[in-house]
Formats: sequence, structure tokens, C-alpha cells
Amino acid sequence: MMPWTALKVAGVLGINRRNLEFILPKNPRRAYPNVDDKLITKRLCLEADIPVPSLLAQAASPFDLKHMAPLLDGQPCFVMKPARGAMGNGTLVIRSVEHTKDGVFFVRSGGKRLTPAELWYHGSGIIAGLYSLGGRHDRVMVEELLTTHPELARLSTDGVPDIRIILYRGVPVMSMVRLPTRKALGRANLHQGAVGAGIQLHDGRTHHAVCQNEPISTHPDNGEPLIGQPIPQFARALEIAMRAADQSGLGYVGADVVVDAEKGPVILELNARPGLSIQIANRAGLAPRLEAVDRYLGAPAAQARPEALGVDERLDLGRRIAGPPG
Amino acid sequence: MTRQALYTGLILLGTSLAIFFWKVFVLDTPLRPSNPSDLWQVEFQLSARGKSERGSLRASLPATDEGQVIFDERSAADGLSFTIRDKQGTRTGIWSGVLTGVHNVVYGFRVKLGHVDIPLEGIGNTPPPADIVAAYLGDSLEFPRSEPDVVEALGRLGLPNQSDVIGRVRSITAFVVEEFAAVDTASQDALLTLARGEGSVLGKTRLLATLLRAAGVPARVTTGLTLKESEPPENTLFVEAWLDDKWLPISPVGAFFGSRPGDLLVLKKGDGSWLESTGVVASGHQIRARRERLRPEELATIMTPASPWLASVSLYRLPLSTQEALRLLLLLPLGALLVATWRNLIGILTYGTFLPVLLSLALRTTSLVLGLFLVFVVLGVGISGRIFVDRLRLLVVPRLGILMCLVVLTMTALALVGERFSERELFAGVVFPVVILTMLIERFSLTLAEEGTANALRKTGSTLLVAIAMYPVLRSELASHLMFGFPELVVGIMGLLTLLGGYTGYRLVDFRRFRSFLRAGKAEPTR
Repeated sequence: MMPWTALKVAGVLGINRRNLEFILPKNPRRAYPNVDDKLITKRLCLEADIPVPSLLAQAASPFDLKHMAPLLDGQPCFVMKPARGAMGNGTLVIRSVEHTKDGVFFVRSGGKRLTPAELWYHGSGIIAGLYSLGGRHDRVMVEELLTTHPELARLSTDGVPDIRIILYRGVPVMSMVRLPTRKALGRANLHQGAVGAGIQLHDGRTHHAVCQNEPISTHPDNGEPLIGQPIPQFARALEIAMRAADQSGLGYVGADVVVDAEKGPVILELNARPGLSIQIANRAGLAPRLEAVDRYLGAPAAQARPEALGVDERLDLGRRIAGPPG
Repeated sequence: MTRQALYTGLILLGTSLAIFFWKVFVLDTPLRPSNPSDLWQVEFQLSARGKSERGSLRASLPATDEGQVIFDERSAADGLSFTIRDKQGTRTGIWSGVLTGVHNVVYGFRVKLGHVDIPLEGIGNTPPPADIVAAYLGDSLEFPRSEPDVVEALGRLGLPNQSDVIGRVRSITAFVVEEFAAVDTASQDALLTLARGEGSVLGKTRLLATLLRAAGVPARVTTGLTLKESEPPENTLFVEAWLDDKWLPISPVGAFFGSRPGDLLVLKKGDGSWLESTGVVASGHQIRARRERLRPEELATIMTPASPWLASVSLYRLPLSTQEALRLLLLLPLGALLVATWRNLIGILTYGTFLPVLLSLALRTTSLVLGLFLVFVVLGVGISGRIFVDRLRLLVVPRLGILMCLVVLTMTALALVGERFSERELFAGVVFPVVILTMLIERFSLTLAEEGTANALRKTGSTLLVAIAMYPVLRSELASHLMFGFPELVVGIMGLLTLLGGYTGYRLVDFRRFRSFLRAGKAEPTR
């Protein structure tokens, strides 16, 4: 079989087609800020009672930064990050706060201790646009530090595993869990060496896993088996992803969900141009699933949005489209 | 692809190709440059600041003569009236009117130069006719043939006897060429040149003509231009001696004897000032020349096609400087097409969509290796500077300004280094892309911060790769000729871009990225 036909038969969605047939018609430009700015995403989710990591503080100017200190007082741990950052750049995880006779120290996840001045400096770098797309001015947001659900924490070394769900016209069509590795420096980016494991929509279990484009069956760092693992509260994750997608106004969206030990699944962020590597992690193409959604929901409406179906029906549709195991 | 996009693309492409093929097959417009070596396009640019009164600019214009055919003359008179006065084969262009402020007049023409080669065997047996004798054998202030010094010098030469005219001419020429040094600042006078043993080129030319006249050979001084590509033409003075029934060209500096080089355009008879003016405060001139890429008959099909309307839209009619700018401009769509191909068919991501095109155009003025070396030096300095500037925490625009200053400083340094090692190209090549390089540095630094060193280097590499891949296309004479001779191809490129923009198939890199799907059957985990 020619490479071309092989990809076509497998239903692999390429960048050109994703952009032209799905992102361009289904994601209106004006809805982009809803997902590019994590503070707006958070507000939209809260309006619809969708769980998100709680916001401890935010700052739009160096002046605001100074007033942040009292808000963080008494917080044992938190995450500071840019509202418009990409791929986790500029994210600072503070695991604990030490009060010593030399003053206060913020301890990073790697063990490095930061003075309040250094923390403030990092914040001003975020505001200056150091980590935002195109170097534009940005806002600092400080969120609670989530505790990964033990079931998922077991599967990864350090860092926070997250679940990526692709939704088309509000219907979940494909999902994977991204497990950080030492090689990826605790990040959940597949191209940096994190593990991607495809999740079956109907039972919430992993069925295939890849690392650096190669199929694997155990975690490269700790040897945990990666196939057939149940993802905790996966149905709930799909439900909040659907509702968040509805809020975003985007027709083709990737939702990143983290399963917190106490809160359960929360929406971390949404993405208007979700990557295509999820197909490798699932060893399945997106194209037939997206086409099936269009078939079920009828001629694509000019507008991205809901579709008369309720959340349960869409979940059902997504599971049917993704197909049973085998 | 939507039907609309498909049809729009096809219509644009079809229209463009229809015009293209019509021009090629019906109008016989040449498809590739034929590169005749003897055809030139020359342009005089005269400028004068007037006194707000009636005045005129008078310039000697070349005439069709032995060894050169002038055609396709045109002039932009800038509000003045233009006439050509033709007096016994000597042509003068006159631009007259009330000269107020600065006037820029342009006179352009094409010329086919021939190699004039006069056989020297057995020449000089016929005495010159009376009118030639009257005009070119006499004694004058410029050619004092009867002065005792001249006669004495001639006597000392020990010339062959009267019947061997060509032998006499040779001896006199050898004497002037070899015994007198050409010094730019030395005298322009024949007698002073003779007395001092050195003279300016004009002095030597006059001395040669004077000695020839003294020896009984009619002689005159002629002003010409040696045409050069990518350099201003060089003023060239020479003597013409009448032998039998022909003017024999002789260089006073030994460059030629009896034959005229193929790049020498005869501008005027005599050695007087080439440009004269009345009613002006100051005047100046500039001459450009460009080797023509098409043969005269091919040009004729472009310039005078069946339809006068088509002739009027021919770019070959534009002033030379505009033509050169357009040649560059018309390459840009080609660059856009290449970039779109790289991006959407192959899948290589670069900094800035059109940065590779601009970079490639910049490299076009130097050799590839030198150009790349310069880019690396400037990028290296810029990026180290940027890393330092980053620590200062500055706002974006001032930061970019500082980077641009750094790039300018680096180029200044390169110019000095280049001068020292007499590699002027070090400077000349890189003036254009200051802004481009600044942007490249900024993009690189952002990627460095956002995606890490490896990604930043990879993206720089692919940007350079695309620029290098484009380099041969943008430098090719064929591409330049096609886009300039067939500007309708731009519409075709728009059509291709439309089709490319609607392409939903895989990119070449997809086959690598999704290679796990290419393996037969269901792959088993390897670990």
C-alpha cells in the first residue's frame, strides 16, 4: 500500500485538513480569546459550574503583584503561571512555604528555594510578556496546586498527568492520558518525551500507549503497565469537557482535564488548535470519527454550537462513534 | 477544497496560462533569454537646477553608424520640449523650456554593437578625398600639427617611407602609447604632453591625432563609452585615422588598433563636453547600461506586437531603474508560491511566513556561501546581544530597536573588516536585510524562551534551508525573464496558491509523523 493510501485508510487527519475543514469553519475567530486566555476560560467554566482549579490571585501589573503577597499568605502550596502561556512555559510550582528567621522562602517542586523578591521577579517577567505568544503583555494567575489522583499518580513519575479530550460539535471523539516522564522533565508534552496512552471512550481504560512515536506497554521510568489501566472518574471528565466545550463557543476543541484527588476531574485549559498526536496514542485516525459526527448531527450548521443533543446523548454518540474495543 | 476555491483557482490559472501561451505561440514572445552578447539597453539621466528662465540642456546622442545600430529611443522630458538635431551625422538631444527648480530628464535607447575590424593588409594606398583633408588634416589649436616641436618629434621617429602609410600609423601609435605615461591629472594639451613625456588620456589622444596629421594622415578624436554590466559605463577616448575610405580606430593607450571592441559605444565625434546647458545653475548626469537578454527581433515582437495596446503594457518600455526594481518585485510572488509549497505540501515550519523569501532575496546579491556566513555572524552577535538585553527587562519596541542597532553596528564592523581584506562584498551584500535579520533574531529569541534551544535551532535551520532552496530559483535568469516578460504569470501563481490553500491532503512530514500507521497490521508494543 502506498503511504498515502495507508494513512487515508487509517483515517489519519493531517494538519491541512484539520485547519481547513474543522478549525476554520467551526472555530470562529472571536471565540479564540475564550481559550487562549486561561483567566477567561476559568470564568466561563465557573459561570456554568464546571470545576476548575481555584484561583488564588491574579495580577495585571507590577503594582498588582505587590498586593498579591497577602492573598498568598497562609497558602501552603500554589502554582503561578501566565494567563496566555503555551505548553506550560513560565509555570512555577510552589510545593511549600518555609518561614525561617531569614524570612519567607517558597520551595519549588524541584526543591529550589525562592525568596519573595525572586517570586515577584518571575511574576513581572510574565507580565512583560516573556512567556506569552508573540511577547504580548500578559497577566499572572496563581492557582491552587492540584493533587493528582493516586490511580494516575501511580502511572507517572513526577509532574501532573492530564487527560486530553478532543470534542467535535460538542461530541467527545477521542481521548488520551499524557503521563510525564523524567525525559520530558516532568512535563506532559508528547514531543518532549512524555507518554501518551489512548483511552477507550466506552470503558475509560487505556488501550494503547506510545512514547516518542514508538508503541510501549510499560512506563519507561517505573515499569507500570500502561495497557488496560482504568482512568479514575473518566465519565465525569468527559461530561465536564463537553460542558466546557459548549461554554467556549468552539466547535473543534481539545480539553485538558486533571483528576484531583479530592475535587475529581477539573478543567485545566482548553485548546482551539489541539494537536494531532492523539491519533498516534490511540493508533486510530480522527477523520472517520469527525465525519461520523457530521453524519449523525446532519449537515454541519454554520455555527459551531450545540446541537440540540444533551450531554448524555452526546456522550452516548461519542462512545458509539469511537466504537467498541477490537 | 470548496468548489468555489477550486473554480477560482482553475480560472485564475487558466486565464494566466491562456495569455501566456497566446504570447508564446501567437505573438512569438521568446520563452527563454537568448543572451545575445552585443545588445545593450542604455539610459542617460540628466539633471539640472534651473534659474527660472528659458534655457536648455544639450547632450550628444549616439548615432547609428558603422558598428552600432541605435533603436527604440525614448525620452522622458520632465516638462521640457525635446528635439533631436542631426547635423552631418552628429546628433544632439536638446531639452528646452523654462527651467524652474530641478529637472530630471531621461533619455534611453537600445543599441546593437558590432565588432568593427578593419583589415590592415595593403591599406592606405588611396589619397584622402578633399573634404576629409579639409576637415581632418588641418592645423588647429587642439591639433597643432605644424608646430616645430611636433615636426621635430616626427622627424626623430624615423618613420617608414610615404608609401607604407599603415607602417607610419603603427610607428606613431607605438610612440604615443609607449613613450608617454597616462596620468589623470596631467595636461590635456598635445604640446604639453609632448614636452613633458606624460599626459592625461585626452592629452595623449590629441597628441596622437596631431602627430598623425603631421604625418599626412587625416585624424580625429572620438568619444565613446565602454559599456559594463553592473557598473557605470566608462568614458573612452580614441583616435580615428582615415585610411583609404575608412576610419581606423586607434586607442591612445594601446587597448586596440584597427578594431573596435564589441562593448564600445561611439557617443560623439570630437572630445568636447558631452553635456552642455544654458540657463541652469548646476547640472549633472548619470549613465546606466544593462546587457539585453533578448535579441533585437525578439524585442521587436514584444515592443511592436500586433496590438498597440499590448505594446503599451510591455514592461520593456519602462525606464531602466524601474525595470530593475520590477524584476526584483516580480520575483516575490514566485517566492510566496515556494513558501506555501514548503509549508503546506512539505510541512517545514519556518520563522515568519515570508522571512525565507526576503532572506533569499538578500542572499541573491552575494554569493551563497559568503551570504550565509554574513547571516551567521550577524545572527550570532544579535542573539548574544539579545540574551543580554533580555536581562534588562525592557519593553518590546525599544528592545527591538536595540537589536536593530546591534545589527547595524555588526554590519559596520563587517564593512571595515571587508575593506581591510579588500572583500567589499562583505558589506555590499548585506545592506538590504537589516530589518529581516532583526526580526529573525527576535523570533529566534522568543522560540528560545518558549520552546527551548533545540527547537529554536531547528527552526532557524529550516528557515535557512528554505531560503537556500529558494536561492537558485530567485537567482535564475530564466525565472527573472519569465516573470518580467510574462507578468500575467502572477495571476497564475495566485491560482496555484488558491488551489494550494484548499489542499486538505497530507503534508510530506505527516508520513514521518504518523509512520506507525504505515506498518502493516496492528503493531505490537515493543517494550
